[in-house]
Amino acid sequence: MSSANTLTRITPKNITDQEFFYGHKACAGCGGSLAVRLALKVLGERTYAAFPAGCMAAVGFIYPQMAFTNNAIITTFPGVASMASGIAVGAKALGIQNFKTVAFAGDGGTADIGLQALSGMIDRGDDVLYICYDNEAYMNTGIQKSGLTPFGTQTTTTPAGKNIHGSKTQKKNLFEIIAAHDIPYAATASIGYPQDYIDKVQKAAQVKGPAFIHVYASCPTGWGTPTETSVEIAKEAVDCGLFFLAEYENGDYRLTRNPKQFASVADYLKKQGRFKHLSDADIASIEAHRDHKWERMRRMWNHQ
Amino acid sequence: MAEYKLMKGNEVIAEAAIRCGCDAYFGYPITPQSEILETLTLRQPWLETGMVVLQAESEVAAINMVYGGAACGKKVMTSSSSPGISLKQEGITYLAGAELPCLVVNVVRGGPGLGTIQPAQSDYFQSVKGGGHGDYKLIVLAPASVQEMNDFVDLGFELAFKYRNPALILSDGVIGQMMEKVKLSPVKPRWTNEEVIKLNGSWATTGKTADRPRNVATSLELDSARQEQFNHKLQAKYKEIQEKEVRFEKIACDDAEYLFVAYGSSSRICQKAIDLAREKGIKVGLLRPITLFPYPTKAIQEMAEKVKGILAVEMSAGQMVEDVRLAVNGKVKVEHFGRFGGMIPSPNEVVKALEDLIIKG
Repeated sequence: MSSANTLTRITPKNITDQEFFYGHKACAGCGGSLAVRLALKVLGERTYAAFPAGCMAAVGFIYPQMAFTNNAIITTFPGVASMASGIAVGAKALGIQNFKTVAFAGDGGTADIGLQALSGMIDRGDDVLYICYDNEAYMNTGIQKSGLTPFGTQTTTTPAGKNIHGSKTQKKNLFEIIAAHDIPYAATASIGYPQDYIDKVQKAAQVKGPAFIHVYASCPTGWGTPTETSVEIAKEAVDCGLFFLAEYENGDYRLTRNPKQFASVADYLKKQGRFKHLSDADIASIEAHRDHKWERMRRMWNHQ
Repeated sequence: MAEYKLMKGNEVIAEAAIRCGCDAYFGYPITPQSEILETLTLRQPWLETGMVVLQAESEVAAINMVYGGAACGKKVMTSSSSPGISLKQEGITYLAGAELPCLVVNVVRGGPGLGTIQPAQSDYFQSVKGGGHGDYKLIVLAPASVQEMNDFVDLGFELAFKYRNPALILSDGVIGQMMEKVKLSPVKPRWTNEEVIKLNGSWATTGKTADRPRNVATSLELDSARQEQFNHKLQAKYKEIQEKEVRFEKIACDDAEYLFVAYGSSSRICQKAIDLAREKGIKVGLLRPITLFPYPTKAIQEMAEKVKGILAVEMSAGQMVEDVRLAVNGKVKVEHFGRFGGMIPSPNEVVKALEDLIIKG
């Protein structure tokens, strides 16, 4: 097996012009489709991709306008990780060589209904790369709260009003839930830092066994942001510290980006319709939560 | 003063749940029924009546929350659409096996599999023949209008508690998504805990007192002889429901020479088809089953004595037609006409099918 450092690093200069996810019907500015497109460019055409019922399934598989040029299939909503397991062992049993199996699912399909199957897939050590594109709500069914919807978000099932200012719960700590399985490789990424994401997909693709990437992927439709700012807003989420870039490898956590100073949380939140209602006190509590989380991550993770 | 509103079918399910004194709703997003959960969260009934509205992490979680709430003797419900209802089947059969009342709403979309988000009536078998394992039945109500979406919430709970059995509203994407004028039900307060004990204390886990044996909510009985006895008891209950709770509507049947049998949105299409057919001189009527279990078998038998042929119209490849054929038992010709996979038949298509399959056929 080749190790990551002997591979040619994929960069904007040498990334393939071949498209594997093209001509789909996603909304303008869709961050999820960008995450899928970039990952498939890294993984190449000998890739089996599995998608549960969700946005990417709805926009990519409208026969006869199939948007995938590699093999791809829709799975049940709770079953994407299990089906990817089945594909990986089935292809192996057929004697197929030199292929990758990837599962792409959103935040609801991963952190809520699909979590059991994902846990089983990692526990068995199945040779699957699982990528969760996180747009922080069930967007396909019309913007309902998921387990990865952050505190204070307005969704159709956490409406903001006088009494309740959007979602009352914090975002689940998905990355650490996955790392707690002692998975060979897990990472977080953002479509706002595409090179970092590409590097992580490339690294994950080299792993024999399960690998996991949690990629932050903006959704103009659900977030109330202009379509042309999708990449920018996903970068800002990282810059203001509400999302973080990290890796878990060989049993150790590592922040891959550790900013000395955070950009303004208020600026990030106020650009988005889903956070428009937040009071100064709400924003202060979001900042306090961020600081607490970062204090712990910096203390516990970056020893080298 | 009666309160009238123009509302969407899904929205009215939410409104009716609050007004009938529902204690808890457990939901999960799926098209075309997400408005039920969304309307409830927007209405914030917890401020008004104390009703719990909760978004679960999956359909499986939601139905098992229903199982827990129902065991406590409370009025609890869930809703979903076809793939989500499939996921709930294990919980539904446990509820039936534990003889617990609850209300489940299915706003049906086309299948199989992920299928489509467009309307269909292809979950009939799953609803009336037992979608999960074991010998059980649901009380199945089929609304044909937004008004009935409102009315059947209260009726569903009433029947569910009367027979200690899950009730199902079998709607579809047409009724769920369309808007009609609706007369809203008067507001009934939620049962107090004292009322729950008084009404359901003989079986619900309301807290054991010294003067009664403990109540057990279970669907487990490892002694086969006793399990068989329990199954006899369930069957006797279903027989009683079949005898007492059949509901149906007859339209233009008095002089009918032919008959449509259709439920839900298909019955609405058949009403227009009756007008079109009668303009052509074809005397056709409609028998609309309102309860799908119990099925109006006798009413169809009686009509089979009077008419020359029966056309079952469903948005499926032919499911309910089997029950029509069982009722008719070969007396007259029975054929099926349906569009499916999300397609909705037009009244003209229905009339043509009547002419081709029944009158000329």
